[in-house]
Amino acid sequence: MKNRALISGIVFIIALSCVAAFAPLLSPYDPAAINQDNLLSAPSSAHLLGTDSLGRDLLSRIIYGARISLSVGLVAVGIATLIGLSIGCLAGFYAGFLDMLLMRLVDVMLCFPTFYLILAVTAIAGPSVFNIMLIIGLTSWMGVARLVRAEILSLKEREFIQAATAIGATHFRIILRHLIPNALTPILVNATLGVSAAILIESGLSFLGLGVQPPTASWGNILIESKSTLGVAWWITVFPGLSILITILGFNIFAEGLKKEIG
Amino acid sequence: MITYLAKRLIAIIPLLLGITLISFFVIRMAPGKPVMLQQSLNPKISLEEIKRLEKLEGMDKPLLVQYKNWLWNMLRFNFGRSISDGRLVVDKIMERLSVTLTINILSLLFLFLFAIPIGVKAALKANTAFGHITTFLTFLFFAAPTFWLALLAMQLFCIQLKWLPISGITSLDFEYLSWWGKLADLSRHLVLPVIVSSIGGIAGLSRYMRSGMLEALSQPYIYTARSKGLSEKLVVYKHALRNALLPLVTIVGLSIPGLLGGSIIFESIFSIPGIGKLFYEAAMMRDINLIMAEVVLVAILTMLGNLIADISYAYVDPRIRYKK
Amino acid sequence: MQNLLSINNLRVGFSLGGKSIEAVKGVNLKIGHNEAMVLAGESGSGKSITSFAITKILPANARIIAGEVYFGGEDLLKLDEKALADVRGSSIAYIFQEPSSFLNPVYTIGSQISEVIMLHQRKSREEAGLAALELLQQVKINDTQRVSESYPHQLSGGMNQRAFIAMSLACKPKLLIADEPTTSLDVTIEAEILQLLMQLKRQLGFSLLFITHNLSIAKRIADRVSIMYQGKIVEEGSCAEIFSSPKHFHTRELIQAYEKIGKL
Repeated sequence: MKNRALISGIVFIIALSCVAAFAPLLSPYDPAAINQDNLLSAPSSAHLLGTDSLGRDLLSRIIYGARISLSVGLVAVGIATLIGLSIGCLAGFYAGFLDMLLMRLVDVMLCFPTFYLILAVTAIAGPSVFNIMLIIGLTSWMGVARLVRAEILSLKEREFIQAATAIGATHFRIILRHLIPNALTPILVNATLGVSAAILIESGLSFLGLGVQPPTASWGNILIESKSTLGVAWWITVFPGLSILITILGFNIFAEGLKKEIG
Repeated sequence: MITYLAKRLIAIIPLLLGITLISFFVIRMAPGKPVMLQQSLNPKISLEEIKRLEKLEGMDKPLLVQYKNWLWNMLRFNFGRSISDGRLVVDKIMERLSVTLTINILSLLFLFLFAIPIGVKAALKANTAFGHITTFLTFLFFAAPTFWLALLAMQLFCIQLKWLPISGITSLDFEYLSWWGKLADLSRHLVLPVIVSSIGGIAGLSRYMRSGMLEALSQPYIYTARSKGLSEKLVVYKHALRNALLPLVTIVGLSIPGLLGGSIIFESIFSIPGIGKLFYEAAMMRDINLIMAEVVLVAILTMLGNLIADISYAYVDPRIRYKK
Repeated sequence: MQNLLSINNLRVGFSLGGKSIEAVKGVNLKIGHNEAMVLAGESGSGKSITSFAITKILPANARIIAGEVYFGGEDLLKLDEKALADVRGSSIAYIFQEPSSFLNPVYTIGSQISEVIMLHQRKSREEAGLAALELLQQVKINDTQRVSESYPHQLSGGMNQRAFIAMSLACKPKLLIADEPTTSLDVTIEAEILQLLMQLKRQLGFSLLFITHNLSIAKRIADRVSIMYQGKIVEEGSCAEIFSSPKHFHTRELIQAYEKIGKL
């Protein structure tokens, strides 16, 4: 095994998951604890990454923010993958009208100004973590659907499938049995990049104030304060953004490693 | 070619119908009614008042009827009035559209201006220090959230170095400047938004360009070009580059939703009065008519971008231009 | 008589995934003026690499380890890149296996032929264009104007290969290297192309290095045959000698295989 990208990706994802899971143990302070005597204090031994304008410990908020980012990423991608799988399977198995209709739906969704829709819906339905996960999932399933459909169509053409159908085995079961090993890695690559995208969208939404609402900490909503503290408290801008950057890098490196595995 | 064009134009109709249908229903069915905002702003508003408002907006009718009415109005460019200030939605969008388009077109230009040479150089020097460094940097910038880069850039250029103005698109004394002064003032305001909004794209596109160039350089016709005695320069820039550039044309179309989506965040950060910021304000106010109109507008821009990309692709690639 | 080309002890290595493999292990090959030399062997025996090494148009991961390639009194492997480029396409020209992928898809046939004329003969675009039409006529293409304005994907494989031959003969090379030029074509087209090639050879008087895995082609066109096996030339002789009294076991195997299917 020489796939360094894959290994470092896995190590990173495990590390991030641990940070998220053990947030209460790892964070030195209560992320929501306001401290009037310690507003906007620079990084120090007491507050490694400094404090925000309410005196809350930035490190603790970033550690808790990992929970939000990771769960939004995973759940949204989970939803997208499920929808994509179902639609891809339907379109692949039932060629003809249904296939045509579903693929047009994919085209429509790909033309969609997704971020506009996400923003509108979170604004109207109310910005909650659950709504964000759902709407990101609902608007990012198209890649998986296309992938699964293409895989099924190519499997249908293979001789052994046609032979098996001829002797009476059901199409569905055979294809499903071959589909899973064949399409697993591409779907995983797609999902991994999807996690990155979802985390970016969530942070963007939260930054606009339409995502995760304070006092719950998310990397995006910590950055809201950034604009008013520019030139005053650089740490508020630097660290949350760096967390997002490193996380996206980690998932992208993992995806890169997976791609190498496919060859 | 003409039948191809006609086909593509006709294909837009169901797409647009699909987009409007989905956005209409999703936005209307999202829990939380638009008129509720007025209620939350004015808690004393009575139930009858809500009913009256709903009736005014035609929101008491069944959804499908509402959609039909809305669609019919849309065809006549009537998107209704903004809930927040009662002005026509079309007017509000039109006065802000040019700013957003200018910035995005400039970003696209920037994108190509930088991404192509970077990608080509990275491919030609794939196994050198330069190649490795560009690969690393493009990977890094591809992963960086661009609004964060914007914040960092503001911190550096506007606050620390004080080279550039921090927000807006004109200075206070803009009216009194000469023509050249106005241009200089505008450029000073636009330079940061344009560069920052294209930086993620530059990273992505140069990665794409690099792999396209490597792919082209490994094609059989490159051996032919060498065997004809062409210099390495001609082999690379005449035979390989032309082939690697073709798919890039479609990228223009594909990058439009991203750019326009980015406009929301950028215009909010840099306080630029474009349609992105307008949309953000509309979303905050739950200004349904404005929201719908913008979704349709951005969808149309996206499809237009795709269409132009497809047509130019068909034009530049002889394999599509002269299909057997 | 002085040979046109003589390859002495040529060795070419490849690096694949960190490992280096020697694909050509000391090849000696001589081609006389006006001679048709067929270099035959299985795929992977190093024939193509040998032919690519002659003017150093090797892939990026290949490297010439040792050897000399004498052509017109100078060692081509010692020439600098510029001097070598002057030889390519003018004194030594190539045709390849799949004309459709060895022609650039985004340029017309005419412009790809003109390019080599403009480069080596310093002609203007118009002159080169006219010369290209003449060349197309020379390879028995009737509607030269249409073909010249076509892109490779608009023409059949046989037509593309004819155009390719026209392109390679544009500067009247002394040596034409043909790397499996008919392998991707069907049998009747193959026969036509071979016939055309041999006729042009008589007419223009160039030497031919023809690379193939197909012994029946070798028998049809060769003056002399070299058999290549695992990076070395294992047997070399006149066409008659090789087919009547093969000495190396691999040559015998190859001939037997062809006799079995009645192709010789």
